[in-house]
Amino acid sequence: MPVQLELDDIQGTVLRNRPMPYFGAYLLFRIDDAKQARTLLRRLLPYVTSAADWDRPVEDAWINVVLTFEGLRRLGLSETILAEFPVEFRQGMAARKVFLGDVGASDPEHWDMPHGANGFHVGLLVMAASDELRQQKLAVGHEALAGLGGVKLVGRVDVGVPPNLREHFGFADGISRPYIEGQGGAPLPGQGEPAKAGEFVLGYVNELGVVATGPGPEALWRNGTYLAIRKIHQDVAAFRKYLRDNADSPAGQEFVAAKMMGRWRSGCPLALAPEADDPELGRDSRRNNDFAYYGEDPDGRRTPVGSHIRRVNPRDALKESLTDARLHRLLRRGSSYGPMLPEGVLEDDGQDRGIILALVNANPGRQFEFVQSQWINDGDFVSEGSRTDPIAGRRDHSADYAFPARPVRRRLAGLLDFAVTRGGEHVFLPGIGGLRWLAGGGDLQT
Amino acid sequence: MTNILPLEERLAMAQTMTDQPDGPGKRIGKRGELTMIGNVVPGGAELFRKRLPQFQAEAAYWEGRVGTVQSLRILLFDNDTRFVLSLLYDGDFKPYLVDIATQAAPWLDALADGVLEGYPGITSPKAGEWVISLLHPTEFSYAAHPDVSVRDLTRMKKLSAAVSDLLDAAG
Ligand code: HEM
Repeated sequence: MPVQLELDDIQGTVLRNRPMPYFGAYLLFRIDDAKQARTLLRRLLPYVTSAADWDRPVEDAWINVVLTFEGLRRLGLSETILAEFPVEFRQGMAARKVFLGDVGASDPEHWDMPHGANGFHVGLLVMAASDELRQQKLAVGHEALAGLGGVKLVGRVDVGVPPNLREHFGFADGISRPYIEGQGGAPLPGQGEPAKAGEFVLGYVNELGVVATGPGPEALWRNGTYLAIRKIHQDVAAFRKYLRDNADSPAGQEFVAAKMMGRWRSGCPLALAPEADDPELGRDSRRNNDFAYYGEDPDGRRTPVGSHIRRVNPRDALKESLTDARLHRLLRRGSSYGPMLPEGVLEDDGQDRGIILALVNANPGRQFEFVQSQWINDGDFVSEGSRTDPIAGRRDHSADYAFPARPVRRRLAGLLDFAVTRGGEHVFLPGIGGLRWLAGGGDLQT
Repeated sequence: MTNILPLEERLAMAQTMTDQPDGPGKRIGKRGELTMIGNVVPGGAELFRKRLPQFQAEAAYWEGRVGTVQSLRILLFDNDTRFVLSLLYDGDFKPYLVDIATQAAPWLDALADGVLEGYPGITSPKAGEWVISLLHPTEFSYAAHPDVSVRDLTRMKKLSAAVSDLLDAAG
């Protein structure tokens, strides 16, 4: 029986893609007054975009609302319900720094984006097709706050896609994502078997064959989910210099970059174009994700087993191992922040730039935290010891990277902190009904 | 017994035991350890012994699938009223519990159901809690190769067999 997703109750960002290019913002608030916070939710409700409205919004702009654990507590949710939330969400991401590898420069003590334990309680995610529309939506947020002194803005990050439509290291992004049962449309070649909706939305059957549920009454969690938000600073100058130092020609640099990512900067996958870039293939959404690893490339001669995309989504490569890759899937909502470092510049200009990832997952422990701790920050799962992701991994356990090459394999040493965590939190993204329940009082204690 | 190294040199090889970063147990390098002690259901010992030959015979297959268990031992004691299960494995425990459950459930359930008290079934959402409730912290542990996983060993064995073949062929 086909799965029917209740699209009009699911916040849009879960299932719908953003416009391109786009203008977004994360607005983070602290809650000092439960009643006023509920008033804020009530005022925002009419503007929250559902997955059903996404493709035909009143205007090209969208608002979604998220809450941290501390935010739910401050809204007045009862302790019995709070205790049932997943442990990762309850503790908050900063508290999980050792497990997640947020150490050294990535330690929460250096984070510049507030998290649940220091002021981030409720958040607005705004997306728009133009800067003007973004301003309009922000104005909606402002109006909703009028007279509510007990809810204060504590952080704002503007996000978007740089003018060259690439992330800061120069790669085309936003290509591969799971196709979710019931999301509508048809899967693209390479998306494989549809992912069970319960991996990404509470209230539906997941890959374990059971309905993913949440804490407390169904009215609170139905059609909700969790986002793992990561603010990651990118050291673009260090990355470019590293490529320069490890290749003897511009083409060689592109090759090294591709071997680290698993795709050429054009987005063209190594799996389909191992020797030379094919930008046209990179642009073709019917071809650029149409590959797997197990049969064609078990040893990673094309797409190295330690490269970014093969780590974060091994597809069928782990078929013979313990790991069931379908239990560890992520749906990415990524976007860049900060100005581009102009092409060719190799010296850091001191500007903060990077990526903000919002990773959708119904089970933060088995999805985001698993991928971050086992696949990005360790190498045992592919017999690579303690080696980590060459793009996004921690460097304190290992700082080298190896990939098959002829005549002998190539080893790159001295990887730097190209990606440094500057903020992160697990947040709850209720369904529209869940938001209404929270706004209306639910089981709230105050 | 004459060539024992001086103390400083013996200590140079010291292995330190650390806590698992998430979940229970200790580890040496990346090799984790776990010891559970619990009760056997009355009459369970008989059932256990009846099932053992099949369990032992299938162990290599199922553990091969799991692919991260270095060694596993189960014993009954106190007149068959209690059991010890102890495990040396690769990596983190808690993150992999669901995977283990999905990979080796039929084998584990076929032994443990009706034998181990409180056993909820390895695929049950309560499985993790049950395991944790029976854990006893290790005071001492040693691993010959803290930096080598079962996967690595399998790969190295393949490699070294290939090299031997090559040498044999050349000889
Ligand atoms: C600075 C940090 C990062 C950068 C620059 C980056 C960039 C990229 C790029 C360029 C791709 C390939 C294009 C595509 O398939 O859309 C990609 C894929 C992906 N990334 Fe990242 N990423 C970063 C961090 C992360 C982190 C921390 C995670 C998760 C914890 C993650 C999860 C993914 C996933 C799931 C894919 C899709 C892989 C596939 O399905 O083949 N990324 N990333």
